[in-house]
Amino acid sequence: MAKCPIIAAVGLVSAALVTQTLTAAEVVTPASASTEAASSGANGGKTLGFVVKDWMPAVYETKFMDECPAGLNISNDEIWWRDLTKQQRSELTQDGLITTLDRWFTARSRGPNGEDICINPHLITDDPPLLTVEGPTAFGINLDGNVDGNATPNSCAHENFSSPDGVPGVDNQLYRLIGCIYGYREQGVIDINANEMRRTSGLAMILIEVEGVDNERNDDDVIITFYRSIDQFPLDSAGNVLPYASYRVDYTDAGPRYGDSIKGRIVDGVLLSDSGDVQLPYYGNYNYMHPVIRDMSIRLDISEDGGQSLGLVSGYYDLEQYLYLTGGLGPVISTGNFSCPAFFEAAKKMADGYPDPETGECTHISSSFEISTYAAFIIHPEQTDETETAER
Amino acid sequence: MSFKTYIRSCTAIALTASLFFLSACSEPEPATNGAPPDMRLLTSEQYRNIIHDVFGEHIEIAGRFDPLVRTDGLFAVGARSAPITPKGFEEYYNVARSIARQVVNEENKLVLIPCEPVDASRADEACSRQFFTDVGRALYRRPLTDSELETAVDASGKVADELGGFYEGVEFGLTGLLVTPNFLFIIDATEQDSSAAGGVRLTGYAKASRLSFLLWNTSPDDMLLEAAAAGDLHSEKGLVREVDRMMNSIRLERGVRAFFEDFLDLERFENLEKDTIIYPAYSINAAESAKEQLLLTIVDHVVDKDAAYPELFTTRETFMDEHLGRIYKIPVTRPDGGWERYEFPADDRRAGILTQMGFLSLFSHPGKSSPTLRGKAVRELLLCQKVPDPPAEVDFSLFNDPNAPSRTARDRLTAHSTAPSCAGCHKLTDPIGLGFEQFDSIGQFRVAEQGVEIDPSGDLDGLAYSDAKSLAQAMHDHPGAPACLTNQMYSYAAGRAPGRGEREFVRYLEANFSESGHSLKVLLRNIASSDALYMVTKPEQGPDGVRAASLKDSSNKERGS
Repeated sequence: MAKCPIIAAVGLVSAALVTQTLTAAEVVTPASASTEAASSGANGGKTLGFVVKDWMPAVYETKFMDECPAGLNISNDEIWWRDLTKQQRSELTQDGLITTLDRWFTARSRGPNGEDICINPHLITDDPPLLTVEGPTAFGINLDGNVDGNATPNSCAHENFSSPDGVPGVDNQLYRLIGCIYGYREQGVIDINANEMRRTSGLAMILIEVEGVDNERNDDDVIITFYRSIDQFPLDSAGNVLPYASYRVDYTDAGPRYGDSIKGRIVDGVLLSDSGDVQLPYYGNYNYMHPVIRDMSIRLDISEDGGQSLGLVSGYYDLEQYLYLTGGLGPVISTGNFSCPAFFEAAKKMADGYPDPETGECTHISSSFEISTYAAFIIHPEQTDETETAER
Repeated sequence: MSFKTYIRSCTAIALTASLFFLSACSEPEPATNGAPPDMRLLTSEQYRNIIHDVFGEHIEIAGRFDPLVRTDGLFAVGARSAPITPKGFEEYYNVARSIARQVVNEENKLVLIPCEPVDASRADEACSRQFFTDVGRALYRRPLTDSELETAVDASGKVADELGGFYEGVEFGLTGLLVTPNFLFIIDATEQDSSAAGGVRLTGYAKASRLSFLLWNTSPDDMLLEAAAAGDLHSEKGLVREVDRMMNSIRLERGVRAFFEDFLDLERFENLEKDTIIYPAYSINAAESAKEQLLLTIVDHVVDKDAAYPELFTTRETFMDEHLGRIYKIPVTRPDGGWERYEFPADDRRAGILTQMGFLSLFSHPGKSSPTLRGKAVRELLLCQKVPDPPAEVDFSLFNDPNAPSRTARDRLTAHSTAPSCAGCHKLTDPIGLGFEQFDSIGQFRVAEQGVEIDPSGDLDGLAYSDAKSLAQAMHDHPGAPACLTNQMYSYAAGRAPGRGEREFVRYLEANFSESGHSLKVLLRNIASSDALYMVTKPEQGPDGVRAASLKDSSNKERGS
C-alpha cells in the first residue's frame, strides 16, 4: 500500500557511529561493534554520524490509487500532441520516425515563440489544470500547529491530511501537488535519477551529526547539525554505499559552509528533533541548490548495525527553489508526465507556508522527504590538523 | 672470527659504547663450515628493484615470471632450486626486450646511455663499450669479463649495422644481458683462499650481492661494488663499514619489507579472494591496503622505532587508510586516500599484527573465517613448527553440514576433530585459531556467529588466553617466536636452512637477539656482519658438472676482484 515505510517502521534497534578525533586519547571502536565508543561531543557524550544517501519526496500511495480519483496527469508532450493537426504530426515526426524523446524536446518548446515552457511556464495559460491529491492521508507532520487547516501567522489556509496512523493535522502540500504525477510516484524515476546522480557524483553530500549522546537508545537532549561533505560515497562491488566511511566536512575560512543545528532527542532508538531553519545542499537532475528548509525537523530510525537507517525530513520548502528545481529537471521530465505550466499554477495555490507580508501569498510549501542514511564518521578540519599524518 | 679480531672489535666497542657491538660481543661467533656455493633465481621483486635502480622507476616491467616454490618456509630458499622452464624463459625474454626498448627509446636514451654515437645509423663501438661496461657491472653485480663485454659489444655492433641503427644494436645487446644466468641468478662465485677452512671463499662481489640482497633486496650499489673490488669485504673492518652504511640507508626498509613479505607468506595476497556478497566492504583495494598496513606497521616498529620484535604482536600502533577504516569501523581523516598513523585504544579488541585485516583475511576462507588456517599460520610461519598436511580421506561433512546443530566454528571443529585422523593436527592449530574467531573472514569484529556468542578463549602451548588480544600477549611471551624469526632470517640471508654445523651459530644469534631486547636491527646486523653468512665449502661436483663449471668460470674470470 504505502511507498514510504518510515512512519510505520518501528522497533528498529539503535546504534550509530561515533565521530571523533584520531588523537591517541580519543580513538574509539565503532559503536556497532562495541558500546565502549567514547568521544566527547560539543556538550559531552558521544557523537553519532550519518551520511544521507537517498532523498525523495514522501508520497503516500494506496493500492487502488484512491488518492487520485481522476487518475494521473498526462504528459506535456501529450498535451502538445493533442492540439496538433494531422499534417503537423506527420511533419514533426517524419511520418512517425522520430522518437518520443525527440518529440518531447519539441513539445517542451511550445511557447508562443518556441520558448521552453518549463522555464517560462507563464506563457501557457490554457493547459488542463494539474490533477492533485484528494485523499485524506499523507506522510508528514503538523507544521503549523493546527488541525483545522485555517491560516496562522506563518501559514495560509489549506486542507490538512492525517498520517497513516490517524494523527490529524499533517501538513504536506508538496505531496498534494505531486502525488498524482507518475514521475514522482513509486514507479517514477525523477527522484531515483536524482539520487543516482548524487550517488555517483558526490555532489551535495549531506552529513548529519548528533552530538551529546549519553545513551544511544534514549537521550532527551542532543544537538543535531547538518553539514555538507567534500567526500564521495565509497561503494562496494555492487555499487552500494558502504557504511562506516569517513567524510570530511566542507569548511571555508569562516567555518563550515553548512552547519545549521537543531535540538533533538532519541526515543527508543529513534532520533527526533525540534524544528528550525536548516540550509542544505541539494543536487539532482542537473540542478545544484542551497535551499533553506524552514521549520525543518527530522525523524531517523537508527540502524543498529550501521546499515541503512530510514528517516523523514519535514519542513517548509521554499517554493521558488522547488519550482526552479522542477523547471530545470532536464530530460528526465519527459518521464514525469505533467505539464509545467499547470504544475506551476497549482504550486502557487498549494503554497501554505510563510505568507508574503505584502501580498499575503504563501512563499513556502509544506513538505516531507524520505531519507536513507548510513553510519559515517564525520571529520572536521581540526581533527585532520591534529592527526599525525604518515609520511609514507 | 678469530680471537684476535674478537678482542680488537671489543676494544672498539668499548670506545664507541655501541649497543650493537656490546650485544654482539657477549661471546665470540661460533665457527661454521658454511655450505657449497649455490645460485638463486632472482625473485620478481628483486628483478624489479634492480631494473628500477639501474634504469629508473619509470621503466615499466610488464610481465609475470614463474612463481618460486616456498621451501623451508621461505621463497628465498626455494629460489635455490628454481628452474627456468622454456615458457618461463620466454617470459624473461619478453620482459627483457620490453625493458631494452624503453631504455633506448627517444624519451630515455639520452639519459640512460652515457654517450652519443658518432652516427646513430651505424654501430659505435666506443659508445657501446662504455654503455655495456657500466650497465653490465650493475646488472651482473660484478664487472663483465672481457669475453662477456666483447660478446655484448660485438652483437650490438652487428645488429646496429644490420638494422641501420646504433640504438637498435644496444637494445639487442641489453636484451641479451637481461636473459643470461649471470643476471637472473645470484651466483655464489668463489675464489681460492688458503686461509679458509675449505680452501675457498666467496668472491668480494658475491659477498656484496649476498649483503645487498639481504639488506636492500636489490643489487649492490656503486660503493658496495667498489668495496668488493678493493677486497674490503674480506676484512671485518671493511665489511662492518659497509653493513653500517647500508643499515643506515633508507633502502633498509625495502630489505626488511622483502624479508617479512617472505616470512609471513604475503605473496598469498596475489590470489586472495573473498565473497563480496557476504563481505561487501572487501575489495582488491582493501586487500592491498591490508597488506600494506602489515608492512607499514612492521617497518615502523622494527626499523624506524627499533622496538622489540615480540611487541609486534601487541603493539597498538598502526596505520590506517580509507579502505581499512570502513572495515575496522574507525574514522580516517583522509578519506580521499593516504595513510595516517593510528593507535588502537588500550581497551580495544585489537592489538598487534595478528589482529590486523592482513593476517586475518589471508588465513581465512573466501566466505568464512578459518581457525585451522589461522592456527596453522601461527604454528608454521611464526613459530616454525610443522603442521602435517591433512589426510587424503578427510571427511569434511560434519564441518560443512549447514543443517548441523553446531553454529560456531568452535562447535563445528569440535565435531570434526573427533575423527582420530583429524584430531592430531587440529589440536595443534585450532586452539590458536579459535582465539581469532571474533574476527570474520576479512577481519571485521563480531561478537556472535549465527546468533551464538563466540568464545575466543584457548591455550597456546600452556599460555592460556581469553581472546585475540590476550592470545597476542601469549605470542609476545612465546619463546618460540624470536627463535623462529632468527632461524628464518638467517635462512633468508643464506638462501638455505641452517646446516647441522650452524646450529650453535643460530643459538648465538638468538642469544644476541635476546640480549638486544629483540632488536631486529641488531639481529640483521649480526647476520650481515657475521663470518657464517659468507662461509662456503668447495663447490660440489655434480654428475653433469654443470653447476661446478659455471661457478668456476665466473669465479676465475672476474675482473677487479
